[in-house]
Amino acid sequence: MAVHEDSNPHKKKSSDALDEIPTFNVENMQNNTRVINYSRTFMSIIGGVIAGILGFTGLMGFIFYFLVMAITTVGLAAKTGFAVHSYFDSWNRIVLDGILGGLLSFVLFWTFAYDIVHIF
Amino acid sequence: MGVGFIVGVVGVLILSHAAYSTIQYRSLLKITGEEFSGPPINVLVELIAGPVLCLWAALTVPGKFLSILPHSDENRVVTLPANLDFMIFNHRGKAFPLELDLKVY
Repeated sequence: MAVHEDSNPHKKKSSDALDEIPTFNVENMQNNTRVINYSRTFMSIIGGVIAGILGFTGLMGFIFYFLVMAITTVGLAAKTGFAVHSYFDSWNRIVLDGILGGLLSFVLFWTFAYDIVHIF
Repeated sequence: MGVGFIVGVVGVLILSHAAYSTIQYRSLLKITGEEFSGPPINVLVELIAGPVLCLWAALTVPGKFLSILPHSDENRVVTLPANLDFMIFNHRGKAFPLELDLKVY
């Protein structure tokens, strides 16, 4: 009896058990999530440097961070051609994913740039 | 990777030039004794142009979005049957002409 080897790299994942099970390609989904994280991290760093140069302190800086994240979200949605459901399984991924992680990078580069420009 | 990366580097260079201009502006303010209320207008222009370039680089450098729908054109899965029990190798197929326009890839 020959062994049936499954060399299929596209492992499907089903969401819930309805009549029609929506499946999607997990490997591409991980790739898309990774792209979003890279983009958001880079824009958090850039936003931190700008907030430091402009001299924001306190609440204004955090408001600026969420403004930068909103602009990045619009840019990512535009990158998908506004057809989000053909690249992600829900809106939450493109809107909320990576925001809290980017906040730490933002604060780090914000204090760094502020110190360099305004204190030393 | 090439063009977007260079655009990102140019954006970062513009931002670092804006930071350096702001440092010089602050030392000028220390000489004249005024307070720092905001960077000068050319630094503000740089602070708008730099992040626009960086945003463009941030969206294009990490890579393209790949479609996750199982039935889209770029996600075609073609697997040939791998069980040997149903494979017959001694048949009359070699008598037929060879067809080369099968879409297998």
